[in-house]
Amino acid sequence: MSAAVNPSKVKPAPAALPLGVNTPSVTLPLAFMVTGLLALGAGMGWLVLQPRLLATYHYNQYVIAVTHLFVLGWICSVVMGAMYQLVPVALETKLYSERLARWQFAFHLVGFIGMVWMFRVWNMKQVGHFGSVLALGVGLFVYNMARTLRRVPKWNVTAVAVAAALFWSSFTVTAGLSIAIAKCSYDSTEGLAAAQGVRTLVDGLRSIAGFMSRFDAIGAMHAHAHLGGVGFFTMLIVGVSYKLIPMFTLSEIQSKRRAAGSIILLNVGLTGSFATILLRSPWKLAFALVGVGALAIYGWELAAILRARKRQTLDWGITYFLTAVVLLFPLSGLAVALSWPGLPLNLFTGQLENVYGFLGLIGVVSFAIIGMLYKIIPFLVWFGRYSRQIGRAQVPSLADLYSARLQAAGYWTFLAGLAAACGAAGLSSEMGVRIGCGLVSLGVATLALNVGTMLTHLFRPKPRPLSLQTSPVPKPV
Amino acid sequence: MSTVTEAAILETLRQVIDPELGCNIVDLGLIYGVTVTGAKVAVVMTLTTPGCPMHESLRWGAQQALVNLEGVDAAEVEVVWDPPWHPSLMTEAGRAATGVGGF
Repeated sequence: MSAAVNPSKVKPAPAALPLGVNTPSVTLPLAFMVTGLLALGAGMGWLVLQPRLLATYHYNQYVIAVTHLFVLGWICSVVMGAMYQLVPVALETKLYSERLARWQFAFHLVGFIGMVWMFRVWNMKQVGHFGSVLALGVGLFVYNMARTLRRVPKWNVTAVAVAAALFWSSFTVTAGLSIAIAKCSYDSTEGLAAAQGVRTLVDGLRSIAGFMSRFDAIGAMHAHAHLGGVGFFTMLIVGVSYKLIPMFTLSEIQSKRRAAGSIILLNVGLTGSFATILLRSPWKLAFALVGVGALAIYGWELAAILRARKRQTLDWGITYFLTAVVLLFPLSGLAVALSWPGLPLNLFTGQLENVYGFLGLIGVVSFAIIGMLYKIIPFLVWFGRYSRQIGRAQVPSLADLYSARLQAAGYWTFLAGLAAACGAAGLSSEMGVRIGCGLVSLGVATLALNVGTMLTHLFRPKPRPLSLQTSPVPKPV
Repeated sequence: MSTVTEAAILETLRQVIDPELGCNIVDLGLIYGVTVTGAKVAVVMTLTTPGCPMHESLRWGAQQALVNLEGVDAAEVEVVWDPPWHPSLMTEAGRAATGVGGF
């Protein structure tokens, strides 16, 4: 017993809920995560087979298709699945509805697969249809999360960041659908009678298309991409890490003002960046600098949290995550360079935009996600299989569920592949892109192997008997 | 008269491992108090952080371990947040197992 604590001075915590009440069943987030891994593998395989997608300018149907495979299939699947699990736990509340989450998974799956396929064959009408299915799922997701946030007993910087990310995710989908609507032709609807009711819908779509025609297509696409990449993904990485990094390293937030400042500035920077990218304004640089400033403050606070940590050893999961944070430096440098007023769009700067996108999605966001996956999946498997056996049998620790050596090998392979692919994309080298993406694929394979190893515990648990002398037959509680 | 000693209870609770940190809850310094009344045991414990995803599992595990101990008929485990846990509450064995230091 801890001698430093006087038992008579302790104050009770709110009554604990029954086991598993706060979180959805483990199969739901695991289904999202396995989907995400399959999409990542498919996307990297696509780039290995067609490296010119990264070695040439990105405004074509195939690049847009593979980008949506990464963004919706890989990143959104994992992030949404993780949020259903993490948000209730991190914010000490309960998920509003698991049923809605299951429906969202179905809409998400149909929506993103259909969108990727239709982007590939460049059928924008069908992109709009599948995008609407995806948007329906996102609507359910945002509603479910918003109702969950309403139950949060005490708001903090993480809750604010999650709320902001939900807003930006809705905006991203709205902007994406608007872009798709603007690319559709409505000539075939001329014969529709007003009484059919469809006419009103078509008129609405025409007005959206008319409004979107004020903006140039590439500017709108870049603005849409930043809404998702910064507003949804980066916002969550920053906000959630303020809860999880102290939790995993036994530390605490060192300055709440600094943490709040980073979230506020990130929102301000994104708002300005969205408008200035869309309008191709020279003020783009100013707002890019605001965003970079937000990330600098985030890095400052994260460094302070890590300096104050009590757990000296940083495991590979945390190392993956911190690598994502380090990669924000070159990414921010590229963001500033590409926002420079009067920057000419030539072969090289066009390729730098490819590097920027690849480094952001496969570098920063993917490293952060993989780091967190190495925390979340072992927990889900452990919780699903061993949480009822703790105290009755010797159960494995989370680190026992996977191979740390494979994890380390995957880290270096992924990092080397990322560096090679980025360098090759900048130099328009198809062979270099193929080699780099091949290495990243190997890194993904190690992750898949480790995830497979973890999942086997769900079907073949490996508890051992307790070593202590206890009652021969466990008694019911 | 109680046949269960506090030492036996703590030894039993050492079987309950925090799966994230890979260390038992006694050496982590999570156990704040143990009261034995006949065959009933009451334990007051904490967790490393509020919102710990292992909250329910560890409380359940401690209770399970105790009720399976010979001489114990009933066990009650209460989780408290005040005073908050601090690494200085860990034993030497706990610090060695988790790599915690620097305070």
